[in-house]
Amino acid sequence: MRYQIVIAGFGGQGSVFLVKILALCAGNKDVACLGTENHGMSQRGGAVSCTIKLGNYTNPVIDANQADLLIGLERNEALRNVQFLKSTGTLAVNSESDFPASDINAEVISIDAFQKARDKEFPIQGLNVYMLGVVLATCEDFPFNEKEVKEALKQFNPKISTQNIEVLEKAINDIKA
Amino acid sequence: MKQTLMGNDAIAWGIIHSNIDMISGYPGTPSSEILGNVNKLKHQMNLDLYAEWGTNEKVGFEVAYAGAIAGRRAAATMKQVGLNVASDALMSASYIGNLGAFVLIVADDPGFHSSQTEQDSRVFAKFAKIPVLDPATPQDAYDFVKIAADISETFQTPTMLRPVMRVCHARQIVDIDEKTNFKPGKGEFKREIERWAAVPRGGRIVQGYEQIERIKALKEYNWENLIKPEFEKCKGSKILILTSGTGDGFARETLEDIGIEADVVKFIMPYPLPEKQIREQFKNYEKVLVIEEPMPCIEEQILTEKVHGKLDGTMHVIDEMQKVYIQNALIKLGIYTGADLYPVVPFKEEVAARPPNLCPGCPHRDIYYAITKIFRKKKSIYPSDIGCYTLAVNQGAIDTVLCMGASVSMASGFSIADPDKYVVATIGDSTFFHGGIPPLINAVYQKHRFMLVVLDNSVVAMTGRQKPPQRENKEIDIMKIAEGCGADTYEHIYSNDIQHSLDFFKGMKKIYDEATGPIVVVVREFCVLDKEVVDDHIPLEFAEVVPEDCTACDQCTTIYKCPPMAYNEEGKVEIDPFLCIGCGACFSVVCPTDAFVQDTSRGIIREENK
Repeated sequence: MRYQIVIAGFGGQGSVFLVKILALCAGNKDVACLGTENHGMSQRGGAVSCTIKLGNYTNPVIDANQADLLIGLERNEALRNVQFLKSTGTLAVNSESDFPASDINAEVISIDAFQKARDKEFPIQGLNVYMLGVVLATCEDFPFNEKEVKEALKQFNPKISTQNIEVLEKAINDIKA
Repeated sequence: MKQTLMGNDAIAWGIIHSNIDMISGYPGTPSSEILGNVNKLKHQMNLDLYAEWGTNEKVGFEVAYAGAIAGRRAAATMKQVGLNVASDALMSASYIGNLGAFVLIVADDPGFHSSQTEQDSRVFAKFAKIPVLDPATPQDAYDFVKIAADISETFQTPTMLRPVMRVCHARQIVDIDEKTNFKPGKGEFKREIERWAAVPRGGRIVQGYEQIERIKALKEYNWENLIKPEFEKCKGSKILILTSGTGDGFARETLEDIGIEADVVKFIMPYPLPEKQIREQFKNYEKVLVIEEPMPCIEEQILTEKVHGKLDGTMHVIDEMQKVYIQNALIKLGIYTGADLYPVVPFKEEVAARPPNLCPGCPHRDIYYAITKIFRKKKSIYPSDIGCYTLAVNQGAIDTVLCMGASVSMASGFSIADPDKYVVATIGDSTFFHGGIPPLINAVYQKHRFMLVVLDNSVVAMTGRQKPPQRENKEIDIMKIAEGCGADTYEHIYSNDIQHSLDFFKGMKKIYDEATGPIVVVVREFCVLDKEVVDDHIPLEFAEVVPEDCTACDQCTTIYKCPPMAYNEEGKVEIDPFLCIGCGACFSVVCPTDAFVQDTSRGIIREENK
């Protein structure tokens, strides 16, 4: 299996957390993985893009036109990173309904997760996990299933896994609804 | 045992599984997590080892290096610009050598992600004549610490491990030793004055000759143990690609993507290279391409007419590696003629930049706001330093940034060069300890008239909230240090009432006008990311905007610049409720029409959730 994911957001949104969860999923399935994260000056609210490459890769960076999946935790950060997505790839983005999907040469799944958080449907800290749920519910070639992601969430931090799993399930149900 | 590890976690495990028992250094992205992780593992497994920060890289280097002279296995960690600070120690240590083992871990940052320079520490190793190992992945990083420690012990020389950011902050499933049988060494200093005391000239020139012989022996070792086996694996292609570190991973993926066969030889130790044996291999190839970053370290050592790379412009010469650069190099050499696999098609419209900012609620913002209000920009120069507070460039409150501690010495220089202006320098507490004290003594010594503001939040915030000296030992007090240097010293306790800071700096301006030497202000702050203290300081008074009161005057979005403040579609400033942390600082002073008010409903909700 070979699958390349870019996670785009800004500092504080928990992009790195998603890399850790996906790396755990990979480890549990004995799939090789190589990813990269932003730390230090790159944080503090600035643009953050992380990568994770599943399968037999030798460098952690994703070049333009290579990613199978782009998870955009925010509209502009998704647009900034859209060049990494290949035309057969998928963009899952948190955006208001005006997302310019027709200008993106890939499949686009857009959901207004900020509004749902504002409406107190889930706590904003769970935005990253919410978007992972959106991916699970929509992205057919995503290499992990709901059960595997939940397992990784529990492994990573049992204390907050109940809340994270609730957010994940909420996202999946929202898409189905 | 397989574990999902970040590169810096893998290096920490490598340190422990090499029985390295003395580690020091100074935090700096991308190296910072190494020492912290060693410390974490120490406590988890109850290991007998020393893993503590130094006040700067030179200090950390020297503490650890003395351990190696006394026969222990030691390591120092730092980022590439930190090596500049420790370079004085390194240059001499390379002559003197060590007994136990001394692994110098220097993390490079190709692409300037978190650094002011893009320097190649492999080239520094070459300059200092010490061997350097260049890992490509977290797995390599783990394995190479062990090799580096063994080389250092065998050849009695400091040995560098040079991971780049894409190794330090890469994450991978890493195979590490099943069991930890940590065996700390026992140090015993053996007097050998000729060797350990670097006095000119007799002993030094002898060690200089030894150094030359050592490099010759290391070249042989490199060939026999690390390089020859790689050449033996080659399949007789016409193209030879020489790599080290991340360059190797990028090269292999690019070749696979574009479907071209080439012999790839990875140098685990890119210096010193046995150039004769390597060049001997070139006769079997039509072309040789070197792929490395960020500087042509390998290329310069083995250059012949057949060799292509950075020196002849085949490869990129600045910025981080990308596969497209390798593809384009292969096109230039006539090896690849297919389509561009990595076309960059950005979104059709320009996406607004999102630079990093001081955190919402950060006291630095208010202090810079007050400084620029009282010491007006036209009449002032603002030298600053390296840390989170450097982000006040966004507020226009910083004019110069050079290197650690330079705010103080440059304030001296500006006070001489442009004496009609106020010179207000800012420096963080950890940076003050690192490099701010000698220039402060100099300023008192030479009577340089300026104001130095030490922003003391008692944490090394930018690099991951390591604890600075005064946090660990209350006996260390920046006020006393500044007074001890002979500077006129004042204290300001930060509060979220900006008027309080304005009044303070108004008073300081009067003192400045009368001063004959440097004035030091120590501002007692906190860091909003510092979980141990933040709850005592943030009142959870969340802001909202009264739209009718907002006149779109830009004051908050250009001078105060708190991240939650942005214009909405109606042209009024709005507070992003997800970003506001409830510091309450913007209720006074910031808005000329007082449009920021407390969102009382939100405060209550947050309290319930706590």
